[in-house]
Amino acid sequence: MGSRNRTGEENLVEGFRQGSLPAFERLYALHGDRMKSIAANLLGSTADAEDAVQEAFLKAYRGAAGFRSGAAVATWLFRILVNACYDQLRARRRRAEGPLPSPDELGASRASENDHPLRLALESALAGLPERERTAFLLCEVEGFSHREASEILDVPEATSRTLLYRAKRQLQRGLSASGAFRPAEAT
Amino acid sequence: MKAECRDLERALSGDDPSLLAALEAHALSCSSCARELADWNAVSSAARSLHQEWSSPALWPRIHQRLAEESQLDAGRAPRARASSWTRLLPAMAIAALFAIATAGLLVFRNAGGREPLVSHWQTTKDPLLEARAVDEVESAERTYLSSIENLSRLAQPRLAGATSPVLMNYREKLDVLDSAITELKASIEQNRYNTHLRRELLAIYKEKQQTLQNLMKEVKS
Repeated sequence: MGSRNRTGEENLVEGFRQGSLPAFERLYALHGDRMKSIAANLLGSTADAEDAVQEAFLKAYRGAAGFRSGAAVATWLFRILVNACYDQLRARRRRAEGPLPSPDELGASRASENDHPLRLALESALAGLPERERTAFLLCEVEGFSHREASEILDVPEATSRTLLYRAKRQLQRGLSASGAFRPAEAT
Repeated sequence: MKAECRDLERALSGDDPSLLAALEAHALSCSSCARELADWNAVSSAARSLHQEWSSPALWPRIHQRLAEESQLDAGRAPRARASSWTRLLPAMAIAALFAIATAGLLVFRNAGGREPLVSHWQTTKDPLLEARAVDEVESAERTYLSSIENLSRLAQPRLAGATSPVLMNYREKLDVLDSAITELKASIEQNRYNTHLRRELLAIYKEKQQTLQNLMKEVKS
């Protein structure tokens, strides 16, 4: 079973390196949802998220021939995605279209009656974090990547990934605590 | 292992899982640490709800389309690289041409003493750079290519003029490079009509242009 999986992964990597479109389709089927979710949380818009995913696949296709065997295609793809999102954010700042979507705007875009107040508050607080801390939080806490995977995606040592996540969570915790999001009854 | 309030930050940093377990034990009897831990865990619980999923049936077809276009561009890039190699060769070809001219000049002037007419010297030289028959053959081949290229160009021109697809634009770019190489080679040949090397290079570029135009027409038809 394990060796069959390894062969499948090897075939996928080989297809990926050769620029085979079915290999890319397989990657999309496996990771597309998580890619969209990360991008949406980083960019604050599902339309921008889809553009970023498309951009990531295009960049991966262009660089596939130079992909090192032995590395994980998925983490490489996620790294490209995260960088594509950073590029979009930087382009927004350069275009001076105004500030990035505010935490409240981000929350409002998805708010519904069923939304938990803590989730909405967290979403708002998350938008105020520095870029890399926010990404570390999204990767590990929201999408469930291990620190080893997150460190590869962020291109940092594993210890740095832990530190980024710790700082992010601590800052979120303090912000939410101060705003009374944990215990609304006490805050009023 | 035992933990105290002062170990809170170190425990939350995640470097030592056993320290976190010890702090949880400590929190059973410490309301302040219990509260901190509860909030810390609440962040993680709420985080999972940030995962977003939505249906986007048009996304993969859109990506696939872009990748397919990129793949076609790749197919066109190989000939473009070949065309670029022509332009890279041009300086070397120019040096070779200059060398040929200088050698010819040396041969002509070395024994002439400035008294004999240069033309008669050419006619009596045993090893001219290019014999008349070879020139005829080359010029005949040139004419064949030129005629074929003109016909193909007439057919391709309307398609290329309004080209918007990446593939056609790639062809147009390649043809521009070839035309530029042809112009430069012709200018060099004007200065040394008998240089076989330059003429062969020109023929090779004509052949490349003909092939490119034929490929373009196939692309347009398909």
